[in-house]
Amino acid sequence: MEAGAALDEEIRELLRSRVPLARALDDLPDSLQLGAGGLGLDSIALVELLLECEERFHLPPSLPLLEGPPLTIGLFAAHARAGAGR
Amino acid sequence: MRRAARAFADALEGRLGGLVARSPQVALILADGIGRLRCRVSGRWPSPEEVQALFPELARPEAARVASRIGGIAARSRVLVECIRARGPRPTRSLVPHPPPGFIRLRAPAILGFFHVGAFQALGAAFEWLPGPVLAFRHGLLTASRPPITVLSTGGSDQERSAVFLRALTHLGSGGFVATAFDEVPGRGVRVPLLGRSLELARGPFALSRLSRTPLIPLAARWHGGTVAVDVGEPLVTDRSPDPDTHETMQATAAARWIEAYLRRAPDQVGLGLLRRLLEPPAPASAVSGPVASS
Repeated sequence: MEAGAALDEEIRELLRSRVPLARALDDLPDSLQLGAGGLGLDSIALVELLLECEERFHLPPSLPLLEGPPLTIGLFAAHARAGAGR
Repeated sequence: MRRAARAFADALEGRLGGLVARSPQVALILADGIGRLRCRVSGRWPSPEEVQALFPELARPEAARVASRIGGIAARSRVLVECIRARGPRPTRSLVPHPPPGFIRLRAPAILGFFHVGAFQALGAAFEWLPGPVLAFRHGLLTASRPPITVLSTGGSDQERSAVFLRALTHLGSGGFVATAFDEVPGRGVRVPLLGRSLELARGPFALSRLSRTPLIPLAARWHGGTVAVDVGEPLVTDRSPDPDTHETMQATAAARWIEAYLRRAPDQVGLGLLRRLLEPPAPASAVSGPVASS
């Protein structure tokens, strides 16, 4: 549980360091989308972020995430927790 | 008079639908003639003045001839698209009966970038000659993918494009070719100088090259009678900048320089759509416009 919370916070810190809009927000809720209507990451920025996370957190490939519903911080964090738990 | 000319030409073009599947080379040559006729009679699509706006060194009579040839190529493209849409890519294979000579030196992985010039609609037939599996990007799908080419649409949301982009990275990592247009801009682009004007290019090809460290090679297809020839450039080489935007802008500028040199040698290859985009004033700077390259 603690490891999962720590990973969630690391992801949020990474978002704050990479995404200007994330720095401007007081809170980054799970429901916040990474793309349009949320943090505004365009297609290339989203891929770069996911690749960085794959490498940094030793995550499985991100393609299934992108082929699902609009990616939110919560969905991404859940993917990261599941991958880290392997 | 112009409306009648256009209607007449449209009717003639429409009659080529059946012929193009049986004898594509003949049908496309006829389409070329119809397109030139439409242009000469109407003085439009494009007009000699539009051609001179991009190529001011052309005297009026030569601009009129170039305009006519552009009109012919545009008609070929329309007929070819309808053929592919109705019957798939098979009828187009006879347009590229042999491997383009420039393909001999191509090695995967590589990214092949093209502009909407000349016989670009026939590039699919050319890509079948590449020595490796090909992932081709298209805005919207004309037809289903057939091996060895997989076609993915760059339409849709940013996230859907992210998925396509990631698949391209994986494909390159597996030793394949990726084929993509420089001048189809689904999201944020980069504006570069071209033919005394400016054009917004997609960031995708340059970002793909940057992230995968894969050569980006420009190419262009042109009609050669009833068949298609493909001109293959050298890989775009620029100093590697640590700033992604700067690096992509430098590569985009290099791509624009390549196609400008190509079009100055052969002005009739400028596609009607590209010509019109170049002549349009650029949209006011907005959130979707990226860095602007200097001349």
